[in-house]
Amino acid sequence: MKRFFSLLLCAAMLLSLAACGSGGATGTDANKLVIWHDKEDAVISALSEYLSQAVPDLDIQFEKKTSLTDSLKLVGNDPSAAPDLFLFAHDKIGVFAEMGILAPIEPLLEEGTLEDFLPMTLQAAAYKDTLYQLPLYFETLLFMYNRRYMQDNEVPATTEELYSYMENNTGRGRYGFVEQHSTAYYSAAWIHGFGGSIIDSDGNPFPDAQAVQDALAYHLKFVRLMPGETEYNTVNTLFLEGKADATIGGPWMVPSAREAGIDLGIAPMPTVDETGLALAPYSGVQGVHVLKAAAEKKTAAVKELLGVLAKPEIGTSLALASGCAPANSACYEDSRVAEDTLVQAMRQTAEIAVPMPNIPEMDVMWTVVGNLLTDVNLSGKDIPSSFQGAKEQAESLIAGMR
Amino acid sequence: MTKRQLREGLGLTALNLFFLALCFLTLIPILYALSVSFSGSNSLLSSDFSFIPRNFTLKNYQEVLFGENITVWFRNTVFLAIVTVFLSLLVAVPAAYCFSRRRFPGRKAILRCLVLLNSFPAILSMFAIYRLLRPMGLVNTRLGLVLVYTGTMAVFSLWNTKGYFDTIPTEIEEAARIDGATDTQIVLKIVMPLAKPSIVTTALQVLIYVWNEYIYATTFLTGESKYTLAAGLNALQATEMTGSWPVFAAAAITVSLPVLVIFFLCQKYMTSGLTAGGVKG
Amino acid sequence: MEKKKRREWIRSYVWSAPSLLLIGLMVVFPILYTFYISLTNMNVYHWFDFTLVGLDNYIRALFVFDSGFLSALLATILWTAVSMALQLVIAFVLANLLNIQKLRLRKLYKTILMFPWAMPGYVGILLWKTGMFNTQFGLLNQWLERLGFAAVRWLSSDVSAFLCCTVVNLWLALPFMIMIMDGALQSIDKSYYESAILDGAGAFARARYITIPAMRPIIAPAVIITVFTTFKQFDVVYLLTQQAGAKTGSGFHTILTYAYENAFITNNYGYSSAISMIIFGLLLLFSAKFQLKEDA
Repeated sequence: MKRFFSLLLCAAMLLSLAACGSGGATGTDANKLVIWHDKEDAVISALSEYLSQAVPDLDIQFEKKTSLTDSLKLVGNDPSAAPDLFLFAHDKIGVFAEMGILAPIEPLLEEGTLEDFLPMTLQAAAYKDTLYQLPLYFETLLFMYNRRYMQDNEVPATTEELYSYMENNTGRGRYGFVEQHSTAYYSAAWIHGFGGSIIDSDGNPFPDAQAVQDALAYHLKFVRLMPGETEYNTVNTLFLEGKADATIGGPWMVPSAREAGIDLGIAPMPTVDETGLALAPYSGVQGVHVLKAAAEKKTAAVKELLGVLAKPEIGTSLALASGCAPANSACYEDSRVAEDTLVQAMRQTAEIAVPMPNIPEMDVMWTVVGNLLTDVNLSGKDIPSSFQGAKEQAESLIAGMR
Repeated sequence: MTKRQLREGLGLTALNLFFLALCFLTLIPILYALSVSFSGSNSLLSSDFSFIPRNFTLKNYQEVLFGENITVWFRNTVFLAIVTVFLSLLVAVPAAYCFSRRRFPGRKAILRCLVLLNSFPAILSMFAIYRLLRPMGLVNTRLGLVLVYTGTMAVFSLWNTKGYFDTIPTEIEEAARIDGATDTQIVLKIVMPLAKPSIVTTALQVLIYVWNEYIYATTFLTGESKYTLAAGLNALQATEMTGSWPVFAAAAITVSLPVLVIFFLCQKYMTSGLTAGGVKG
Repeated sequence: MEKKKRREWIRSYVWSAPSLLLIGLMVVFPILYTFYISLTNMNVYHWFDFTLVGLDNYIRALFVFDSGFLSALLATILWTAVSMALQLVIAFVLANLLNIQKLRLRKLYKTILMFPWAMPGYVGILLWKTGMFNTQFGLLNQWLERLGFAAVRWLSSDVSAFLCCTVVNLWLALPFMIMIMDGALQSIDKSYYESAILDGAGAFARARYITIPAMRPIIAPAVIITVFTTFKQFDVVYLLTQQAGAKTGSGFHTILTYAYENAFITNNYGYSSAISMIIFGLLLLFSAKFQLKEDA
């Protein structure tokens, strides 16, 4: 009995020692800012390099979090575990703003800082007329093709041209065109091309029901000429291995395409013949968000950091380092940025692109639309009833959020 | 060579062939990962896949072993694993012994409740555990994680050891008690050696759980210097926009190997003292 | 005598206390907390300032239990039954074969068979999904095509997705079951077999009258826990077929993947907690029924 207790005591001491050893470093240094992110290494190294020169007095630590949004929901207002800022796309702003963990950005910026920012990025970063993100760069999907198989003069200007190209070039393990046809992010372009949308700004799902169903029905014939997988590994590998002539992909595809030795062409999105509208993809605006606790307790440091992040220099170096399209329009005065085909293509697409909705209700729409698309495209269910089911599911989920 | 020996030899060969085939079948997905981990191009898929990669390279393993904080993560994981396994056995064995040997009010009810606890879908437990750890100042500490891991595995540890204790005949214990042995001595010197297989399986299960657990680790630990191997591995997982599949595959295999080595070494302890000691029930 | 008994009781409680305390903190407390949250309106709009709303969430949760939920429940029961039956039979046979005295390489085989268990589950599932089942590039289809067959969309129909999930679940769960059974086999006194052989009992008779009865009490805890884990399986089904952005078109849902898609993604924690509690209640009913049968 005694022996058992002494063992237990030993264990307890061992544990408390261990706890002290690991728990010591949680001091609140006013100049230390922790930034969570989920970005590629090139972006982060460009950022930390720039910041170490621009704000040498601040200790900026980037930390990659795979489950960033889930972790934030948990620790968002607990300064001992939460970061001070996070770098993420704008589409979760609504959720976090409603939860009450985000600080408005504008009071932390000097007057006039945002004058040069592209209006699209500011629109994306605002939720209920308050700005919650300092945009850094944005990305949109692009029409990409492999020049070895699709000549520049074959690039389809309209969706019907694309379809006839696909018909002529698909078969025997080759594809004329591939995309992640049954994921919401990619299919949104088709829905927008028919004048529809997934959700309106008031949180009503599928405001134009007919447009969505028309888009689904029209899109189906393209899906039939594409592989039965919608997941990105398959689609990207097909394009990168030269088994698909063209695809719709994000800028993140470009480095791997160049590495694979593909003579990559980038073209404007084709126009839907029936409506005359271009396939308009979602755009994602990446930027820094400030957590409330940091804005209150480390105001000076946060202001200093945001001040230098809003300057065109960082946008320019991000554009050069990894082909990001800067949110600050002043960056495009740099000829190296202006001449980058990828950046230019995104800037052009940005004219038609629709910023991803950032309202909390959008969170459930990714799943609803994904289900609708798989039902129609992969399981062969009929469109009106699948659509009706999806609309009902969306409404019940949105009602369930409250 | 007699006919019987021949038949036995044939049977044994067939058995060996069967197990070789089974092992190969089990390993196919892992060989796939192995091939990806040696591949020079960043793709999880390939139309001309072969188990021997075409542009063979060791650079992914180099990146895993030297590029990331893998030694730090390894140390963290080993520390967590040892403490958790030790603590799990320390709390489970005495409890299991009592539940197996003693009769006391509430025993049956507690045992029944322990079964039922498994019915709870723990998908939302994260919040509760966070709320529990935070006031105790245990968020972002290793002690917090050790407690979470030990607690999560405690039902299994208690139950699994108790099940085995039940099968050990009590005669030897009674003899030892007459000789004046204390409870602690009986548990340490008689019951534990006899229950070696279940002690080892319980310890292994706890070890593997800690080794592979990443959800609590990534949520409750901030700072990559505190990560465990599984948490670090999870952060390496490639997505559409970032990361490298070959490096991830190399890391996944590297992380799994120590567990297999431990398993291999532990096997000799998995034979029971019961058969070795020749105790008749 | 009475006093001694009482002292024994106290000693038992003291010895069990650390274990029960940890279980109380990490297992029971989350259940109670989830129950408490299920009575509140904790959601995106009231994340920190939630208030008690009584049984509202439960009333709304009943709407989720529609025909879709019922078919998911039935599928889950079938899934659990099939997975457990296969696991027990296969693990039993393999553990017995591995214990044949003259098998010299036993340790090596055992170690290799443990490999799926040695890596985090999501890695294994990912390898199966992309490496094996992928329609375009998966090994299964590459082999089929080499043999002259047409490619199969493994994960897209309900039945084949169910089978594929079962295979992957077996792959993930068998190592543990084999190890538990292997450990249990060690406890059986070899002299029983010797006398049984002398009595002329065949392999099946020995398995039926010696091995299985002797193993039962030892493996029961692990088996029961595995039944629950299988019933509550989320990762295998979700990651293989239902993952957002990589859906395959299969309609196979377990109750948890169904609840996930129809409640958990709303970020409404009160509502989701109510659903968790209802699933908990359902499982309690099942296990109560199961236990009655066991006792009878």
